[in-house]
Amino acid sequence: MTERENYIIIKWMEGTLSGDEKKNFEQTPIFKKVERMLNMLNSFKAPEYNVEEGFEKLKAKLPHKSDKTPQGRSFTLMPWLSPMLKIAAILVLIVGGYFLISPEKPTKIKTLASQKTEVTLPDLSSVQLNASSQISYLKSGWEDNRKVVLAGEAFFKVAQGSRFDVQTDGGTVSVLGTQFNVKNRKGYFEVACYEGLVEVVSAATTVKLSAGNIFRIVNGVIAYDEVHSVLVPSWMRNESTFKSIPFDHVIRELERQHNVMVSTENVDTAQLFTGKFSNSDLTLALKSIANPFNLTYQVNGKKIVLYGSSK
Amino acid sequence: MGVEDEENVCDEGIFNTLFKAHATDLHHFLYYKYGKGNNPQDLVQEAFIKLWANCSKVTPDKARGFLFTVANNQMLNELAKQKTVLRHEQEAPSTQNNESPEFIQEENEYRNRLEQAIANLTEEQRVAFLLNRIEGKTHQEIADMLGISRKGVEKRIYTALAILYEKVGKF
Repeated sequence: MTERENYIIIKWMEGTLSGDEKKNFEQTPIFKKVERMLNMLNSFKAPEYNVEEGFEKLKAKLPHKSDKTPQGRSFTLMPWLSPMLKIAAILVLIVGGYFLISPEKPTKIKTLASQKTEVTLPDLSSVQLNASSQISYLKSGWEDNRKVVLAGEAFFKVAQGSRFDVQTDGGTVSVLGTQFNVKNRKGYFEVACYEGLVEVVSAATTVKLSAGNIFRIVNGVIAYDEVHSVLVPSWMRNESTFKSIPFDHVIRELERQHNVMVSTENVDTAQLFTGKFSNSDLTLALKSIANPFNLTYQVNGKKIVLYGSSK
Repeated sequence: MGVEDEENVCDEGIFNTLFKAHATDLHHFLYYKYGKGNNPQDLVQEAFIKLWANCSKVTPDKARGFLFTVANNQMLNELAKQKTVLRHEQEAPSTQNNESPEFIQEENEYRNRLEQAIANLTEEQRVAFLLNRIEGKTHQEIADMLGISRKGVEKRIYTALAILYEKVGKF
């Protein structure tokens, strides 16, 4: 929805469009879609509330202040109740206080192997989550504190606004409205900036990364690179791409994308791999990583063994 | 204690009138905010029990504000918010029609998508948007219920609309 469309829809909802504007707007496909959505809302209407029944129930629960006779009764009837009530009140205060003080639980979104998902944050920033990844964030106070904790890999489209932080155990990425991909796997931390400017703070160094650049730490070694595809990370097009990456990281990614277990025999997993594999076709993917190194492979259900050729 | 004061809600007649006047709104407010799974009916009762307990301190014209404040606070103390959202998500609205299976399936998919999108709104956005669009409450009425400004309510409604449109509008 563009700013202009948004503006017109708001005017229409308020009923402040002029006759002509209204007629024009009601011809547009956007109007049809908004109308369909608003009409559908009625199926979520709250059930009728039965006032009479509610009041009868309530009356049964109320202490009988207005029975004209009760004033003394409640005291003489249960003299032991008063200290009990004091104890109960203290308990309520303690429990209530706990809930007041204890922080809100963060919202968590998690993907399993070979799963992907899209998350919209409260300010319409969007996050595409790759397989076997997890993000968590606090919904309340989001506008003032935009912070996402990431384990795994995700692509961010950040709405304009205050500082936006992505925290990982490999380092923190801070931005002011941009698009970038963060990949944080075991022994592997990579940030690719697709638009705008991001700042990466890791234990080793602090760098500012402009659009089209990649910062990477693999097994403790820092490297800089350029983004190969201009628009979005390759995994969002169902491919995994690598450029001079140790082979064991490539294998781990294959496991995550296809939900399989890969073991190797006579394979040098430290050698560097450049290329890509499909995230949707396992056979194709296996060929893509096995052929360049002259490896053979055997598939047994979810278990795959890669064999080196050296005998 | 304060029964001699005519201007408070300890009078049973006034209390009855207040219940009839505000219980439905209070119920719908709680329903849209937290979903059916969190027993809006019981929460209505609790709010009125609190009002009765404090009847000598509350004048009839302050009763509505008192009820909404209490209803809000009770929920915030008792519930983990995350749970609320999920329950809301699972509720199925009841509808019936005699259209073709394809049409029904398509409608169901659309409704599920919309339902999920609504559940994913923040509480503040959801309650303002649904009270306005479904119950036809004015911006000012909603502002009074929530104890915020009218501008604040408008912002919530329009943000909610933009989010929902983003999620399901394309279809």
